[in-house]
Amino acid sequence: MAAPLRERDVKLALVVDDSAMQCKVLSVLLKEEGYRVFTANDGARGVAMYIKYSPDLVLMDINMPIMNGYEAARKIKSLSQANSLCPLIFITSMDSDKAFIESIDAGGDGILVRPFSPAVFKAKIKSIQRISDLYAQVKTLQQEQQNDAELAEQLMSGVIESRNFGIDRIGIIKKAAELFSGDIQLTALAPNGDVNAMLGDFTGHGLRSSIGAIPLAETFRTMTKKGFSLFEIITQINHQLYDLLPTDLFLGAGFASISSHDGSVYLFNAGLPDVYLFSDKGVIKHKTSSSHPPLGVLPKLLPDSKLTVVGIEETDRVVLISDGIVEARNEQGEMFDFDRFEESVKQGILEKNVSGVVLQSVDDFCQKMPQEDDISLIDIPCGGWEQAIVTNQGVENFSAQQLNDISLSAESAWHWQLTLSGSRLAAINPIPMAMSQINEIEGNAEHWQSLYTILTELFVNALDHGVLGLSSELKGSAEGFSQYYLERERRLKNLIDGSVELQISHYPFPNGGRIIIKIKDSGQGFDIKKYFQNNAEKSDEASMLSGRGIVLVEQLCDSLDFQGNGNIVEVSYVWTI
Amino acid sequence: MSVNKKVSDDNRKVEISVTGRFDFSLHQHFRDSYTNSKDKNVEFILNLSETTYMDSSALGMILLLKDHAESCSGKVVINKPSESVNKILEIAQFHRLLTIVK
Repeated sequence: MAAPLRERDVKLALVVDDSAMQCKVLSVLLKEEGYRVFTANDGARGVAMYIKYSPDLVLMDINMPIMNGYEAARKIKSLSQANSLCPLIFITSMDSDKAFIESIDAGGDGILVRPFSPAVFKAKIKSIQRISDLYAQVKTLQQEQQNDAELAEQLMSGVIESRNFGIDRIGIIKKAAELFSGDIQLTALAPNGDVNAMLGDFTGHGLRSSIGAIPLAETFRTMTKKGFSLFEIITQINHQLYDLLPTDLFLGAGFASISSHDGSVYLFNAGLPDVYLFSDKGVIKHKTSSSHPPLGVLPKLLPDSKLTVVGIEETDRVVLISDGIVEARNEQGEMFDFDRFEESVKQGILEKNVSGVVLQSVDDFCQKMPQEDDISLIDIPCGGWEQAIVTNQGVENFSAQQLNDISLSAESAWHWQLTLSGSRLAAINPIPMAMSQINEIEGNAEHWQSLYTILTELFVNALDHGVLGLSSELKGSAEGFSQYYLERERRLKNLIDGSVELQISHYPFPNGGRIIIKIKDSGQGFDIKKYFQNNAEKSDEASMLSGRGIVLVEQLCDSLDFQGNGNIVEVSYVWTI
Repeated sequence: MSVNKKVSDDNRKVEISVTGRFDFSLHQHFRDSYTNSKDKNVEFILNLSETTYMDSSALGMILLLKDHAESCSGKVVINKPSESVNKILEIAQFHRLLTIVK
């Protein structure tokens, strides 16, 4: 930290001249200009006086005993603090180019050649003081700017990094080229246990490039928390940045949403280097290249935009990077590039420290070369997130009799219902609406996480298998997996009739309540008897006729019933404080 | 690095060439090269064949040029981007925003 600038009412001047007579004359003139004056009769004493008084102006003779003016000037200039300009003027009768040049070389800010009139002397002092004031002003502004930047940086890291989810398991590299990073890394947990991550790279560096970071982080977190799908979040972020930022400021961004229980990851890349999926051996299983211009460039996402869905193993890792890593250069001007990057990730996976190994490799490669761009990476394990979902323990605290009483206690405290059909059904995700309804009436609580999962799974089932008539058997193989999603998309686009009806009723009781969810779809339903037979025969979960989703819902609820032709499902969820 | 501008005889085409590194330091020069062209229906040809490197602020500058061109009912065509520049345009998917002639 630089020392604060001096503020004082009276300006101090130091006159260094071996002639007492000259000292006297200059002192009188300076006093007339409002200075307090100290004098010294040789260079060495001049330096000592300078240290003692730290004056605002120094007048220096050149030819003096013990230490001449040039030497004294050099000493003084080396002593003066970087953030204050104490102007030093040489006073001499040597009217030569050489004297002039040497004076400036020695650090002098000006030279005044005798003889001069008092008026000329005063004018010279004024002009030099003007420069000095300007210098002080610039330094003050610079200092203020630095303080602001530091404050903003603190604020930013407080808002952004401190609130990221799962930082004990998600590896992050964040090495800014300047105080302010144009790169941003966000992670958040969705109510159903999915982990969302985003790595963004704003145009340019520094404060200018960071202004979008706070609204971006808020949107990403809030929408993830409320249970919006990754695509909805990206759509909103794009729209928001387009509104907020000037034309030449935008965000290259990569997104990943890891769904452990679904065994898949959703990826989107808008203007970043490839997003990677690595196996536990460090083998590249998948790369998602940029398929969209950076966010904030277009008012809406391009119509053909879509997420890439890839099946994952528990031990896989998703790695997101900005171009700073691959473009980092060494002294020979060579770039770190993708080969070295991929190799270092592989090494990192084997050593179980991806961010550490990659950062070390980049550092080793670049040696002492200054960092030109922000370097950042996010490394997310694909498995081990299930425990984030709280399974429903509520029901076990009640006896069968109690539960029975509750179900009989006639009226629900509230009932909420929504029916979506046709194109609306294809475009709207009703789950965040349902959740905000519950949050508004019953308050925000951790255990709604499970409820969110139940709602999402049941709604997706009703839509995919009921209305769209997709078979989940397709998802069994890797090719089928992507085929399933392609087909789903196609059918959604062409959806004209078909509907899903959502009903939620709440029956409160002391310290908790029972929530009944009923979802009815316009589909064919399925053979309920056969389904349960099949399930009973197959103990292996993975080979069950219905997806893993229903198993999860069964675990979370205290009852699950299919009704009608199988096109109606009703579940009961009991919660307690 | 430098920015050069050539205007066709009929004033309908403005060719802007960027040589060397295309980054924020060219901001002012680049802006100056087109702000005075306010005629309607002008085609701005951005020649990037001699551009060795381009960063994200350069992408931003191209978008500003596009805004300017469109405000005068004109358009922007990127001409012959060098290999390294093309890679960056590809990552940013700029071919979906304006015409790129290889």
